[in-house]
Amino acid sequence: MTWLDEIASSYDGVPDPGFGPPTVDVAAEGWVEAIAGARDGLGCAFFDFLTAVDELDQGFSVVVHVARHRVGTTESVLLRTRVARDNPTLDTVRHLYAGASWHERETHEMFGIDFIGHDAPATLLLPDGFVGNPLRKDFVLASRVAKPWPGAKEPGESEAGAAPSRRRTRPPGVPDPDEWGPRAGESGAAEA
Amino acid sequence: MDVTHPQRELVDLPLPRVGPLQRLAPEPARYVLNWGRRYSLWVFNFGLACCAIEFIATSMARHDFIRLGVIPFAPGPRQADLMVVSGTVTDKMAPAVQRLYEQMPDPKYVISFGSCANSGGPYWDSYCVTKGVDQIIPVDVYVPGCPPRPEALLQGIVKLQNKIAGESLAERYSSPEVERRSLVSRLTRPLLGPPPAST
Repeated sequence: MTWLDEIASSYDGVPDPGFGPPTVDVAAEGWVEAIAGARDGLGCAFFDFLTAVDELDQGFSVVVHVARHRVGTTESVLLRTRVARDNPTLDTVRHLYAGASWHERETHEMFGIDFIGHDAPATLLLPDGFVGNPLRKDFVLASRVAKPWPGAKEPGESEAGAAPSRRRTRPPGVPDPDEWGPRAGESGAAEA
Repeated sequence: MDVTHPQRELVDLPLPRVGPLQRLAPEPARYVLNWGRRYSLWVFNFGLACCAIEFIATSMARHDFIRLGVIPFAPGPRQADLMVVSGTVTDKMAPAVQRLYEQMPDPKYVISFGSCANSGGPYWDSYCVTKGVDQIIPVDVYVPGCPPRPEALLQGIVKLQNKIAGESLAERYSSPEVERRSLVSRLTRPLLGPPPAST
């Protein structure tokens, strides 16, 4: 019995073999049961990580990666569920894997997902007083609006000393200073 | 298990300062003091990222900055004269950098090593990276690079030693810029208090 067969017999539906570990989509209501099944049924004693993905209109995907180690082989499964964007809540699994506690705290502060039953939701990685959930895709990275990056942004820019010929690129999440922030609309074609 | 912690009190230790004799030293004595100071820099490595590896390489046998009189691996900031901030300073780490800097005895020097410590480097847009360690502590020498080679740190150390050779501590510590920098961001987190009484 292969690992994929074992997963398929434990969960409804065929696991997606994907490019990495086999992925099983579970409903948010059955989240705790699914992970308990992976631990007790499949024997995945190793908790690797728990995190989330911002899927914009479709809410957040919460994924957990657990693995089973046998002599000579390690097999793992990725469990994935979806929570709504306007009310992102999910049951905690820290009673199943103690290591999930820190991962849930991180996911809570980075994505704003509440883990019901987690009694220590204090910030883990962010500095005190931080406002917002920085790994959400609608989080605005405002540094460049306040002050331009002092480095050269494009190849050849530092030698030329003038505006580059190519259109300037901005990383995702970084707004155009002309369109967002205190200097919006001041200079017309600065980013052309 | 009933463990009662003895009630500990926080002691407000004054910061070590340069004495008046140092400030009023005449030129020849100052020359000797600076000469001694520049060749016995106990360095405290604030390694925060990959630049710390380059710092360690500089301290090892091939580059060996002990031949310049820089003594690595001070037991802690209270025994150090020079702090090398090598790596990415995050907003979460910034209070710790500042606290350890304040524990160093005067005269103290800071080398900012690498792009991240200089200006935030490639993480300018990040939500959590401090835009240069000079936002929280005064920096004497900036070493550019990502990461800089060990030779660059050696050059930075030589630059710093030349700076020490010509400096006057009275001028260094009467500058309003230094005062402003040291006031710019006080610790916002309280010192670690005694543990709560066991119930």
